[in-house]
Amino acid sequence: MYRALQLHPSDNVAVVITECNPPGKVSVTSSSRGEAFEIEALEKIPFGHKIALRDLAKGDLILKYGRPIGRATANIAKGGVVGVHNIEGLRGRGDLGRQEVDDHRISGIRASE
Amino acid sequence: MGDRRWTTIEFLGYVRPNEEAGIRNYVLIVPSTRLVNIVASRIAKYVNGTKTIITGGENGRHKKDRMRLRNLYIGLSLNANVYGTIVIGAKAGFGYAEFEPSSLAQEMAKSGKPVRVLMVEECGGLEKTVAEGIALAREMVQEASRVRREPVPIGKLAVGVKCGLSDATSGISGNPTFGRMSDLLVTAGGTVIFSETVELIGAELDVAARCEREEDARRLLEMVHEAEEAARATGEDIRTINPLPSNIQAGISTLEEKSLGAIQKSGTSPIRGVLEYAQRPPQPGLYFMDGWMSSFSLPMSLAAAGCQLVIYQLGGEDLPSADPPMLATNTGVVAPLMMMTGNPRTAQKAHRNIDFSAGGVITGECSIAEAGEALLAKVCSIASGEWTKGETVCYEDPLEPYFLGPVF
Repeated sequence: MYRALQLHPSDNVAVVITECNPPGKVSVTSSSRGEAFEIEALEKIPFGHKIALRDLAKGDLILKYGRPIGRATANIAKGGVVGVHNIEGLRGRGDLGRQEVDDHRISGIRASE
Repeated sequence: MGDRRWTTIEFLGYVRPNEEAGIRNYVLIVPSTRLVNIVASRIAKYVNGTKTIITGGENGRHKKDRMRLRNLYIGLSLNANVYGTIVIGAKAGFGYAEFEPSSLAQEMAKSGKPVRVLMVEECGGLEKTVAEGIALAREMVQEASRVRREPVPIGKLAVGVKCGLSDATSGISGNPTFGRMSDLLVTAGGTVIFSETVELIGAELDVAARCEREEDARRLLEMVHEAEEAARATGEDIRTINPLPSNIQAGISTLEEKSLGAIQKSGTSPIRGVLEYAQRPPQPGLYFMDGWMSSFSLPMSLAAAGCQLVIYQLGGEDLPSADPPMLATNTGVVAPLMMMTGNPRTAQKAHRNIDFSAGGVITGECSIAEAGEALLAKVCSIASGEWTKGETVCYEDPLEPYFLGPVF
């Protein structure tokens, strides 16, 4: 059984702490609750990379530590790997319009309230 | 929060005239202008027990940046690890007023520690200044060697932290372990300073909410805003700059994700204040200091703010697989740079250079609370005289003061 950590109960991704080579189940430990649940790994996920805990749609906020770390740039299936190929950060980005960054900043404020 | 048990713990330190306690006992050679870098460098090479700070210097820099460099010099001299300072100058009135040797020396002498000034003009030339500096430094290090270590409470410690080559363990094991140690030390009356302003972007609201004073929360948000605007002004996707390619390889995908992992190192204590670059905290407690994340910049900057020890909290997943070089060697100048990691694989492959591993948090061998206590015990040992692994090496990386720019 592979292992992953969910750092906050509201997170929709977990950090893989044993490299996943499917087929195989991942035991996800929720660090605040201490209890574990299982999901199926869909693809190879290296140590330290993120696994989706539910189906994510393009544009969804990605939550880790209970805070937004960016948004999905593609649909991501539960059990899939989450990384620079399918999510993007929005802060400090000179290549994006001002409005987009402000919107994201506001969603960050909401999430932390 | 911290455990009261630690408040009674002592370390063996060098007590200074101002009651501060050093964990090392150096003589610092400061070149007041880059013209005399060669003098400071030769003296430091010749005399055991000395340290110097060689940088690109002050020329073509605006007032704010010149003040940063001035504060860096003064701060390093005031650091409790310094027994005394020799300031090297060219001649009176040479160069920018901020670096006038007599003015630097006056600020440095407020510690009550020995401060001497040597001027090339008065010594009769470059090589005569080197010769006179060597003689003076040799006398001063011998005086310094007569100071004995004595037990002092750990509340006299100020520890700085830099997290580097972050990977997924940084936010899960390494930084939380440092954070736990920080809570223990702060409860015991000590000081902890964290920094790296760009790596607050995305986590700034959580940090600001912990500031004891409203004005500090406001200043912190302003610092982050300035950093974010500077990043935006590049017109680039920040991910081509920070997170670094190595962070991304190791599983960190966005700057926000890196920041949220990075702030775990601040523990849970209230933030007593927000410091400008190289500013010394007015009283003990947990502080944030404006600073640049570079491994060649932040350690000495934290030392200038008064940290006797700087801990480098390394992720390191993306490093080469056997005996990798460290990201920085001895860039704390007067403060030893201690290497820790929360990544068990980094601990194994870099065991020749890692002083402390919290990797057991990942493998399930220990809790964050246990790792934090073990880290504080290690800090006490290093504070009492145990060398860091980096200190056993005769090499110093180049130094990069944190300048705002632009240059003219």
